[in-house]
Amino acid sequence: MTDDRIDFSALDPTRDDERFEQIVHSITTAAARELAARRARASVVGQVALWWRPLLAAAAVAGIVSITTLARVQVAAPDETADVGLAEAIGVPSQIAEWVRSDEPPTPTELFVTLESE
Amino acid sequence: MASEGGLDLPDRLQVERARRGDAAAFGALVRRHYRAAYAVALAVLGNPMDAEDVCQDAFLRALERLDKLQQPERFLAWLLQIVRNRARNFLDYRRVRSARPLEDLSAGTDETPAREAERQELRRALGSALAELSEIQREVVLLHDLEGWKHREIAEALGLSEGMSRQHLMGARRLLRERLGAKLLKEYSDD
Repeated sequence: MTDDRIDFSALDPTRDDERFEQIVHSITTAAARELAARRARASVVGQVALWWRPLLAAAAVAGIVSITTLARVQVAAPDETADVGLAEAIGVPSQIAEWVRSDEPPTPTELFVTLESE
Repeated sequence: MASEGGLDLPDRLQVERARRGDAAAFGALVRRHYRAAYAVALAVLGNPMDAEDVCQDAFLRALERLDKLQQPERFLAWLLQIVRNRARNFLDYRRVRSARPLEDLSAGTDETPAREAERQELRRALGSALAELSEIQREVVLLHDLEGWKHREIAEALGLSEGMSRQHLMGARRLLRERLGAKLLKEYSDD
């Protein structure tokens, strides 16, 4: 089928190769800064991507080791005696540790005397 | 020129490269889609030089927003929407300022003065005739007759049915023929 197209060549910006190249050059020149910024970002992202996997793997290993250690500590020290021993080991007065173990609150006088004696 | 920036690569790949700042890929997208962008801008603005300004602006805007493009394979449709929006904004801006008359515009070619004068006359006549069409008629007739798109492509890009695209084309051509006469008409094989 043929039809009568309108000849828009007078309006065609690509009919003159040289002029069209100027147009393209003008656009790409104006875009140079944005393109450079994108290259820089891509480079940074690329560097991060290079380090990301080993870093993630190391973090995962550290996490697993920490969880395992915590679990072992909790399993190895479930009784109150161990808790008090630990309290004494870090400098908590033995009388206070005893109060913790006995669940009986000290009187103000006992508390005062204990703290004074320390 | 065909190999510059992998010019024959699909839009999806060119967009991915341009996102990483590949100037050749961006240039390839400009070369590939400039005429379609220009056709849409011209349809809205009716002024070749303004259409060129808006095209440049739209390509830069598209580059800035390239990361927001969800489907890189649909770059052209997305670009044309940006062109349309920028052109309409430009039109609003121009309405509050003085419009540049079409006959003052030169394409800046190295043609002879007589030939250039003839071109100017044609440009002015085309501009006047196009101004009488609706925006959608202008888009359809420019995309079809200037850019060489098929109705299927126009329908997809503009969100029309193919039948509507044909209807707009017929209406546009009828009016343009009336205004321009036979001198601007050419015979081509249709799609």
